[in-house]
Amino acid sequence: MELFTPEFGLVFWMFLVFAILFVILAKYAWPVILKSVDARADLIDKGVTYAQEAKSQLEHATENAQALIAEAQQKQLEILREAAQAKTQIIEEARKAATVEAKKIMDAAAVSIEQARKESEMQFRQQVSEFALQVAGRLMRKELSDDKKQIELADKLLTDIENKN
Amino acid sequence: MKKTILLRIALLLVAMLSAPQVWAAHDESEPFDAKETIFGHLLDNYGWEVPFSHHNRIPLPIIVCDNNGDWSLFSSHRVMHGEEYNGYFIPAEGEFKGKIVTRDAQGNIYRPIDISITKNVMALFIATALLCLCFIPMARWYRKHPNGAPRKWWGFMEMIIDMIYKDLIKPILRDDAKRYAPYLLTAFFFIFFINILGLMVIFPAGANLSGNIAVTLVLALCTFLVVNLTGTKHYWKDMFWPEVPMWMKCPIPLMPVIELFGAITKPVALMIRLFANMMGGHLIVLVLISLIFIFGTMGTAVLAGTTVLSVAFSLFMNLLDVLISFIQAYVFTILSTIFISLARIHGEGEKEHAK
Repeated sequence: MELFTPEFGLVFWMFLVFAILFVILAKYAWPVILKSVDARADLIDKGVTYAQEAKSQLEHATENAQALIAEAQQKQLEILREAAQAKTQIIEEARKAATVEAKKIMDAAAVSIEQARKESEMQFRQQVSEFALQVAGRLMRKELSDDKKQIELADKLLTDIENKN
Repeated sequence: MKKTILLRIALLLVAMLSAPQVWAAHDESEPFDAKETIFGHLLDNYGWEVPFSHHNRIPLPIIVCDNNGDWSLFSSHRVMHGEEYNGYFIPAEGEFKGKIVTRDAQGNIYRPIDISITKNVMALFIATALLCLCFIPMARWYRKHPNGAPRKWWGFMEMIIDMIYKDLIKPILRDDAKRYAPYLLTAFFFIFFINILGLMVIFPAGANLSGNIAVTLVLALCTFLVVNLTGTKHYWKDMFWPEVPMWMKCPIPLMPVIELFGAITKPVALMIRLFANMMGGHLIVLVLISLIFIFGTMGTAVLAGTTVLSVAFSLFMNLLDVLISFIQAYVFTILSTIFISLARIHGEGEKEHAK
């Protein structure tokens, strides 16, 4: 039957045309199209991953920021506490130093007072012994000629009196 | 809106009812020959019929070479109505009915080598041109717009290409997908285009190309060549020296014969499937339309009834054929892909090595 017998002419043309079509499309169409579609799909995938990453990063960023703020507040508190401590310490130290200094001054004052007192005592003694010698000299000018020995004697006598007192 | 649709349907019905009557009045003298008409449409022709005129056809070039080796090229209108040109003519009866023949020195009729541009060849050219016009500018567009997404027609085409490549070729062929994709895509779109063009009835389309065994033969042969020329060592070893008991392959090559037979039946099945499906679709539509003319002689009431029924059924069949057009192209591609993947087997050791 004619329907089932392939016609030579058509087979010939079909083979030729199909081969040409295949060569043309395989060279100029399919590789470009498939490559572009693949490249675009890759780009879209990359874009989606990028967006997701960015989103998660953003979420992380707010979390991080909050953590940072909390940490900063903690630090601030610590610093304030430390400052307070330092203040009291400084005041304490200053007070101590002041006491020490005051004590030193007082001591020095005491020493100088003591010295002054001793000096004045010495002077007083000298004057007293002079007065006594003058008094004694006037009383017995002739017997008591050596002044120096007499002053020493008077001083000794005065020390005795002082010790008695 | 509804009114206009109703009006259109009414007009269509009027046209449907009146057309056969016009036809019947016109051709009262010769009775309607359903078989002739149907096969006239299914088979190849040297001219291309135009609507509303069965006598006038678009002439196409005839290229023939007789036994003496002389080539002739002439227009088909010279031998159209039983006329003879340079000894070539188309007999209306006999063994070579409808084919161009000539006489040798003894006066015996024989068929020369005939590579005429017939209706089917012309349709083939048109389909090929359409494919090139569709996909080459598309490729250029992609080159101009890197990472761009085409819209409308090309977007639709891209969807189909993507479907064929990602859902069919890639999962089956894996690493070989890139290598075979051009052939498989070309085959798919070629078949799809000629199927759809075959369903449109007026001039630039309407040739029963995929329902012609020569076309499907070449397509199946191409798949056969691709499968067997690019088959791996193991494919050939499995064919001629499979791992079966010695008695099955040594004195009488039982398994090799079976395997060889299998290798040939695969493309034959491809050829027959596509041919029969498309031819069957065309045949059913033609028969349904012919019913109108067969019943046309039985009076107006019967004619009207058959017309409505036939048109409804053939419309349904045509819609079904649109579906079949796609499915058959898809089936041809999927089977070709599977046959290729079967020929691309690697031995166990090699597979392990590849991993």
